[in-house]
Amino acid sequence: MTTIQPMRIPYVQLQYSHTIGRGEQFGPGFSYPIHMARGEDDLMYVLCRSSEYRPEGTRIAVCTVDEEYVNAFARGVPQQGPHEYNFDDGSLVWPVTVAIASNGNVYVSDEWLNRISIFTRDGDYVGKWEEKVGSGDGELDRPAGLAIDADDNVYVVDSMNHRVQKFTPDGKFISKFGTHGDGDGEFNMPWGISIDKHGSIFIADWRNDRIQKFNSDGQFLMKFGSSGSGEGEFNRPTDVAVDNDGIIYVADWLNNRLQVFDDRGNFVGLKTGDATVSKWGKDKLDANPEMWGERERAQGLEREKDFWAPSGVEVDDDGNVFVCEGPRNRIQVYRKQSPTFMGPRL
Amino acid sequence: MADKDIALMAHLMRRAGFGATYEELEARVANGYEATVEELLNPESQPAIERDVLMRYQPQWVSQAGLEGQQEEWTFRMINTKRPLEEKIALFWHQIFCTGHAKCEYPKQQQIEFDMFRTMGMGNFEHLLMGLATDPAMVFYLDNCMSHKDAINENWGRELLELFSMGVGMDGHANYSEDDVKECARAFTGWTVTNSVPRYPYGKYEAAFIYDPADHDDGEKTFLGETGNFNGEDIVSIIAKQPGTARFVARHLYNFFVADEPQVPAWQNTPPRDPEAIKMLEDEYYRSNYNIGSMLSVLFNSDFFKNARFTKVKSPTETVVSTMRLVGDFDMPKPGMNAMTLTIRYMGQDLLNPPTVEGWHTGREWIDSGTLVERINFTADAVGNTSHRGVQNIINRLASEGETISPERLVDGCLEMLGAYELAEVTRTELVDLARNEGELRTGTEEFGQRVGQMLQSIVATTEYLFA
Repeated sequence: MTTIQPMRIPYVQLQYSHTIGRGEQFGPGFSYPIHMARGEDDLMYVLCRSSEYRPEGTRIAVCTVDEEYVNAFARGVPQQGPHEYNFDDGSLVWPVTVAIASNGNVYVSDEWLNRISIFTRDGDYVGKWEEKVGSGDGELDRPAGLAIDADDNVYVVDSMNHRVQKFTPDGKFISKFGTHGDGDGEFNMPWGISIDKHGSIFIADWRNDRIQKFNSDGQFLMKFGSSGSGEGEFNRPTDVAVDNDGIIYVADWLNNRLQVFDDRGNFVGLKTGDATVSKWGKDKLDANPEMWGERERAQGLEREKDFWAPSGVEVDDDGNVFVCEGPRNRIQVYRKQSPTFMGPRL
Repeated sequence: MADKDIALMAHLMRRAGFGATYEELEARVANGYEATVEELLNPESQPAIERDVLMRYQPQWVSQAGLEGQQEEWTFRMINTKRPLEEKIALFWHQIFCTGHAKCEYPKQQQIEFDMFRTMGMGNFEHLLMGLATDPAMVFYLDNCMSHKDAINENWGRELLELFSMGVGMDGHANYSEDDVKECARAFTGWTVTNSVPRYPYGKYEAAFIYDPADHDDGEKTFLGETGNFNGEDIVSIIAKQPGTARFVARHLYNFFVADEPQVPAWQNTPPRDPEAIKMLEDEYYRSNYNIGSMLSVLFNSDFFKNARFTKVKSPTETVVSTMRLVGDFDMPKPGMNAMTLTIRYMGQDLLNPPTVEGWHTGREWIDSGTLVERINFTADAVGNTSHRGVQNIINRLASEGETISPERLVDGCLEMLGAYELAEVTRTELVDLARNEGELRTGTEEFGQRVGQMLQSIVATTEYLFA
């Protein structure tokens, strides 16, 4: 006798929406968008890492979710001479993460300068925390992830100290948790961070290939993931985001995918990319029409859909999931579909 | 530990790698010369470079989209690899099997080729040539994708014979004819690459090799005296067994690892510098079934190699990489990578972007008035920086010899620490006089470090230091 199995569809469904970006050092476009944060209204603050040999592309590009370019601020640092740089206030060398406070101020971490810089929502420079390099309380060694809680306290993933530190908005040390290792509550070069609506803290424990969850006091709650390329396994997860339903999204960097987990860390699904030509991309191709022809002839164009080294993941209150792909100079946007039955009929 | 053992090990590491600190030389001498050769020839015995950490701090090394970034990545690898011969052999083949960024415009595609050099570069030469013939960067660079059965393009077929396997001739005679070039090109028709995805809006994607039987000339061909319906792999097999190929590979290995030979175009009529050495390498080529690693094993263990110290002018890449390894700079990614890497270009070697398919002219042609100044300024700047870990180690080591050291000992000690360098007596005397005129050398003083740095700078500015 044949048993009929009911078809099961995971209750978390992501539908591809659109792609934002194209490779540019100036104006509409990104240069290695390593991370982003959602601002007020429809704004996105996209942190462009660029490279040492194209420092003009290192900036924060501001655009809307509908891909309207707004402006850009902050700047990379060109070399002045053989061993000379001008690391002025407001400059960026190895920026990693951008986060937005309740007043709209934009915080940026920089792993080379060991600096947290602050700008207004319009890009005016506000200031920076005093750079204290080291392993003591309040000192930083390669700050990577940044997250801001409901009280505007700033959590910094202090990557080479293998810990997380909590600061006031102006950089005064409050507390810390974590140490080097692979046990519960220990880290190995952690990178991304997210705080959910309950104040729980999620850390992308980068070189341990796992996600760890803590309460707001830094007490270990749970972990999931291990090294590998199977479902629920990671290859250097760079970032984590948690939506209002507690669904967890992980940028699985060297596996070139986004993985999705429920609030207990159970694997729900994954995406390997669905990119299409963006609005800015179409403008570029229209300006270089021979490339439309090249695309028609190209073999393997379907690879264009795929994620390549996604480093940042962000969610917003509208159900959007943003995946930053540095090497492709773009952000793929997904929308989470509601599991609530809404239809008039089957 | 005998000085001669250190000197020999320093010689081996300069040639089979990119030099070594004195501490590394001591450790390797303790292991033994033959064991070191064995380790170098088996790079997988050593840990690979940790690319995840590098890519975290230098994300442009993920995308491999820009020439400068890829030059940085390779230079960083050469400085920090625990498998120096793996990188050296990749550099060796890059200097022969040239592809150029000016035409390819996609460094990741060339990087794929370099990975092939790393994995196959010390293996069977016939297999390596097959890898090259199916390498998309090469197929595009030498236009074989433009060679069709009704209209051949001879570019790849010609360079395969002239620059990649046999050379135009040896012992005064030609190795092949113009007809062989045409027949070779016919055999490779249909060996092509996929049409590429354009750069905009999201960057390029690597191309793939494809064989198109409909565009292959399947007719009879006569190549180097053999007749048949040859395809590309038949041509490679015929090439691999030619005496000209054995000679060509042997001379290239000798030129790169042992001593400067005349430039390649002169090889048809200019006999090898050391015919017996070349004969040994040719014999090993056949005995080992065309195995490059076996040839290198013979080479590194031979007297002709051991006696060939300072008979090669260092290439710009060797100059910069060995200097960084010596002083211990750029052992982790940091700003300044780009400027440091660009000095290799300014010294005359734009990695990934050779001037022509013939590659760079080597030996004394690396040096002209401009590149000489660039070389000396760069190396003197690095060894004179007493904050570098490697320079501090040299200072501390010399300081540990006593409360004072003599001018003679300062000069000789610095020469040892740089890798057992030797100077002409007149030059050494001048440096000793220089040290003496500066006054007594008290090791416990701050001034001592500066004077060691100055002496290192003086030594790297000598003619002798241009050589490896």
